[in-house]
Amino acid sequence: MASLTTQFFGIELKSPVVAASCSLTGNIEQIENLAKAGAGAIVLKSLFEEEIDAQLQEELSERKALEPDPEYMDYFDYIIKDENLKNYTNLIKQAKQAVDVPVIASVSCISASDWVVFSRKLEEAGADALELNLFLLPADISRDSAANEQFYFNAITKVLENVGIPVTIKISHYFSNLGQMIQKLSKTGIAGITLFNRFYAPDIDILNEQVVTADVLSQVSDYQMPLRWIGLMADQVDCPLAATTGVHTAETAIKMLLAGAGVVQVASVLYQEGPDYIAKMNEQIKSWMDKKGYDRINDFKGKLANKKKDVVIYERAQFMKYFGGKSYS
Amino acid sequence: MYQIVQKEQFSENVVKLVVHAPRIARSRKPGHFIILRIDEKGERIPLTIAEANIEAGTITLVVQNVGVSSKRLCAMNVGDQILDLVGPLGKATHISEVGTVLACGGGVGIAPLLPIVEGFKKAGNRVVTVLAARTKELIILEKEIRQWSDEVIIMTDDGSYGTKGLVTQGAEEIIKREKVDECVTIGPAVMMKFVALLTQKYEIPTQASLNAIMVDGTGMCGACRASVGGQTKFTCIDGPEFNAHQIDFDELILRLGGYKAEEKQAWERANS
Amino acid sequence: MKEYLKIERDQEWRDQLRKKIKNKERTTQERVSMTSLDPMERIKYQDREVNLGLNMEQAQREASRCMDCVNPTCIEGCPVSINIPKFIKNIERGEVLEAAKTLKETSALPAVCGRVCPQEKQCEAQCFYTLKLKKEPVAIGYLERFAADFEQQSGAVSVPETAPKKQVKVAAIGSGPASLSFAGDMIKLGYDVTVFEALHEVGGVLKYGIPEFRLPNHVVDVELESLAKMGVKFERNFIVGRTASFDDLKAEGYQAFFVASGAGLPRFMNIPGENYNGILSSNEYLTRVNLMNAAKEEFDTPVLKGQNVAVIGGGNTAMDSVRTAKRLGAERAMIIYRRSREEMPARVEEVLHAEEEGIEFLNLNNPVEYFADENGRVSKMRVQRMELGEPDASGRRRPVVVEGSEYDIPVDVVVVAIGVSPNPLVPSELPELKVSRWGTIEVDPETMQSSKPELFAGGDIVRGGATVILAMGDGRKAAAGMHKYLSQKNETAAN
Repeated sequence: MASLTTQFFGIELKSPVVAASCSLTGNIEQIENLAKAGAGAIVLKSLFEEEIDAQLQEELSERKALEPDPEYMDYFDYIIKDENLKNYTNLIKQAKQAVDVPVIASVSCISASDWVVFSRKLEEAGADALELNLFLLPADISRDSAANEQFYFNAITKVLENVGIPVTIKISHYFSNLGQMIQKLSKTGIAGITLFNRFYAPDIDILNEQVVTADVLSQVSDYQMPLRWIGLMADQVDCPLAATTGVHTAETAIKMLLAGAGVVQVASVLYQEGPDYIAKMNEQIKSWMDKKGYDRINDFKGKLANKKKDVVIYERAQFMKYFGGKSYS
Repeated sequence: MYQIVQKEQFSENVVKLVVHAPRIARSRKPGHFIILRIDEKGERIPLTIAEANIEAGTITLVVQNVGVSSKRLCAMNVGDQILDLVGPLGKATHISEVGTVLACGGGVGIAPLLPIVEGFKKAGNRVVTVLAARTKELIILEKEIRQWSDEVIIMTDDGSYGTKGLVTQGAEEIIKREKVDECVTIGPAVMMKFVALLTQKYEIPTQASLNAIMVDGTGMCGACRASVGGQTKFTCIDGPEFNAHQIDFDELILRLGGYKAEEKQAWERANS
Repeated sequence: MKEYLKIERDQEWRDQLRKKIKNKERTTQERVSMTSLDPMERIKYQDREVNLGLNMEQAQREASRCMDCVNPTCIEGCPVSINIPKFIKNIERGEVLEAAKTLKETSALPAVCGRVCPQEKQCEAQCFYTLKLKKEPVAIGYLERFAADFEQQSGAVSVPETAPKKQVKVAAIGSGPASLSFAGDMIKLGYDVTVFEALHEVGGVLKYGIPEFRLPNHVVDVELESLAKMGVKFERNFIVGRTASFDDLKAEGYQAFFVASGAGLPRFMNIPGENYNGILSSNEYLTRVNLMNAAKEEFDTPVLKGQNVAVIGGGNTAMDSVRTAKRLGAERAMIIYRRSREEMPARVEEVLHAEEEGIEFLNLNNPVEYFADENGRVSKMRVQRMELGEPDASGRRRPVVVEGSEYDIPVDVVVVAIGVSPNPLVPSELPELKVSRWGTIEVDPETMQSSKPELFAGGDIVRGGATVILAMGDGRKAAAGMHKYLSQKNETAAN
């Protein structure tokens, strides 16, 4: 029988299917279900810097009837941070007690500010590794790309200074030179890079002519973007890669592993199919491996990566003559 | 004003005082402490309540002469009045029927241990108590402890009484001998640290009662903060008892020395 | 209210006073300036008041600047609605004791408020001079203090009239400004009022918090005596819920409670190294010095005297702490505040006084970590520079980190003065009481009644943090609310 053991987050995982950070992984009951289903690791729901700020703003605007002394509200962000941090460390502790698979803390930050040092508390609470969900929407036209890139390196340096557990990062594809950026990031001492995170996206409702929230779940075909970049970069980085966004089936997971990913992180499909779906994915990966005669993940991991640049399709950008013979007539 | 109605000199530096404080005698529970101030110039001294007598309206305190104010308190006599006394403070010990309880007390820590031992015994537990001190005369309240313990083991550093050795040696013997369901420890911070390490090895839930520096005792000053499970807690309102396996004892020990230089100066002034 | 103000304003003496000086003449006078002790001299003493007060001539001249407006907007700026023109005009005509009496109609602590209220944000901000003339406002705060002090010094302290005793017992929990103001109103209404205080001294923050160089203890004591003369009883060393339970007190006849137990818990930033020795809350620092007299050798309580003292925060508590540090002999006493001077919540006068005393202001700086020597005593702090970004929901510009701007400052004492959280002691004894997620007691903002009908609350325990005057306002509202509640209840019981 094939073994699904693989490496990511600087630790050995018993399956390459990891429960990605999502609201399911913020609930202890679901965390237990995911572990039972055979998740290789559980990345807890992110501690969001943005959310903490939103809570502060709400608190500031709510306090009107019995207005407090301005001194009281002056450092109120620390109270909110503290409360969030307490809840989060409790979640880590509970999860660690409830399950025996690795529990990964996740921090989602939009600034490399002082609070990154709070990562130490997550380590103390018992997290096995830390995933930094770094995101800066490059829409601030007053900042150049060098400044934007520097934010990532600052945040990583600061966190690595503060914790001893492995640190991985999850990034978006919004970089002007994505390949070089991924390579540079892989050399910072981190234990892995996850490509790519998915964001809350806008959409437009043409009936009411309003900007609305786009579909929150990923689509089956969304996997193509991470697949290309895993394939392109797997042999050019100094740390393992993980794939996420659009991994909805065992088949896609296998593709990612073949392209060079160490693990896949799944979320959307868990909402659609339930936590037990991980067990099914594990089974299907195993039976594919058995069929192909692979004993271990490493036997085929990266087999179709862009080694020596011979798999040119990863680099091809234009359809060229692909649609040449087709027409709508 | 709170009158001292009885005094007993346990040893050169340890004194038992019985003080008239009827409301507190009625409302206190095991684990509670009080804060007193002898006179206008005194410090506010936190002291755990060792015993209470509702009919007589008294509480029993055990004081160790460690600083300027406690020295003056130790020198007070029957009939003297303590200017201020407030309590009961802190959270009461969580006492339930768990099976066998191992109680480890060291030095003046034996005093606050007494009501807890009594509580556990009354709740239907088997209680084995290990009392430890440097030397024989520092083993206090032995008779009272025996009254509520199924077995008492005495350990002294110099072997002048009971068995020669540390509290942890006595405790480990019990743990190896029988199943212990819960452990309570009160004493010097270093002692509690090693008791905690021991019971952690055997996975026995353990409560330790901290004696931190305090001013008001009601949560206001924050001098008594301690790190427990990675979070800052206030000993006076969140404690004084915490899960011993989560307490950062090294930080506690450093913090207890926070005013050492100032206290030394005051001591020298008072004794010059 | 409006009618009462009109009747008072229409009194003949007020009318004549208005005619005595032309408005034009009134408005051309300069605002009085307060004389104060020399900065280099005053930093040698913890207990010498900085402001010396006005003399009779200064006070009358300043009082004459007030135009006795038809629509006195200043009153709207006062949380306890003092009849400001009436007391000021009494000063102008030389009836200072009458002025003091006017203050006491609505304020239990005029000598205190005259010293610690942020007048520039309240009454003086609503003064006709500020609003319409764009000139310096009438010095209402100075005049309030003048009248209250005058009365205290005259020995003829007036004891407000009280209604016939009702034989109805009520309790106030805590003895700070909210409670004292509540007690003052309730005793006037004829209730049997007992104030319970956990500490050994009555006065709450006025005693343990605000230093004597800003608010001398004797000033507070006179106000306390005046309440005692009216019949208010004080129980020290008594924690309601602990020393005796609420049920015990009900059994002893207490029919209603006003909880004003204050903001007990000092907040920390939870940054690395914050538990090192030498890092303490402003509550601890100020309590040791103010309540325990730690600065005086003959008292047993010690206090840390640092050479390089950093105080974190920009409020009045931070100013009190840093100025205390200076008085304890610090060579370098610094304010570390992450916003700029303009955003500091402290009273303008305190900031000015601090500056005169040689306090360093490190604005737009914020600590991120502390380091200690081998004994665990803080030796340096790492701070980060900040800049101001977009305004937040309260309208103040938010501090934003300047990345990579960290540097170290040597320190041996750090006082954290970033605010306090509500004291959980009382709420924890009443599990059915409705409290917010931050631990404040939820009340009806009009009556200050909590989810338990017999329990009212005000001050810090309701607002999280309140100024002295806001707390006093709460006390007054709660007294009115409780009076109504008890009257109805006892009427129903009688029928």
